[in-house]
Amino acid sequence: MDILVVDDSKIMRSILQRAIRQAGYRGLNVCEAENGVQALERLRDGTPKLILSDWNMPEMSGLEFLKQVRETDTKLPFGFVTSECSPEMRVLAMSSGATFMLSKPFSPQDIEEVLIPILH
Amino acid sequence: MVIEVSQSTVVEIVESIFATMMEIDVFVSDSPLCVTGDRMTATVYLEGEWNGAVSLECNRTQACQFAGRFLSMDPPDAVDDDVRDALGELVNMIGGNVKSVMSKDVRLSMPSVIDGNNYELRICGSHTRDVSAFQFFGGTFWVTVLDERRSRPN
Repeated sequence: MDILVVDDSKIMRSILQRAIRQAGYRGLNVCEAENGVQALERLRDGTPKLILSDWNMPEMSGLEFLKQVRETDTKLPFGFVTSECSPEMRVLAMSSGATFMLSKPFSPQDIEEVLIPILH
Repeated sequence: MVIEVSQSTVVEIVESIFATMMEIDVFVSDSPLCVTGDRMTATVYLEGEWNGAVSLECNRTQACQFAGRFLSMDPPDAVDDDVRDALGELVNMIGGNVKSVMSKDVRLSMPSVIDGNNYELRICGSHTRDVSAFQFFGGTFWVTVLDERRSRPN
């Protein structure tokens, strides 16, 4: 597993998968989860190079998911992809251990810019 | 502190989302809200220092066109879960961006999507603040911002 995409919207997971391919990363193994609880289960199977997570999700929010990931792994790159990208939320995300925060709407170029420093 | 979001800001948000995520150019129109027959309504609710909702109304054909563009494929022939998901994601993005310019103490709900005929959506205790009509290659759709109806002082 190279990238774990966590979003309750199936269509947004598909869009992220496509954006990753359009950014030039066609051969990557991208796994999906619908929420933080399911994502934590996926992480038991292996550690990805990057997690891309929504913020507002049922079962477990993206922020709670990030905090649980950081309890066991402080270095795993973790990026939020969310439409709620206020300055206050950005500060909260970064202080909780997020690597970056990408706001929706985003272009394939935006995805490429955040992937390059992590995957290269 | 709550920063009021103007109608022009909502228009900018909608134009940006449609152009960036779906490569659809939308233009503000003066068409009054008028969706008859088959229709779909996606809504997100905002709660906290500001209480209200943002909804997107369109017909089923348009919703299928949005889903097709979202997924870079031909539009589905009929409304399915992908189409409902696409409409929910669209209004989630609009609502999320509205929230982002508003206040840190506003929470965004999960989106809800209604699909049917001749229904009326009533959000109790709210009133319509702005209705923006948008024209694109598939016709006109509407984005409505509702906020809490405040009681008048005695």
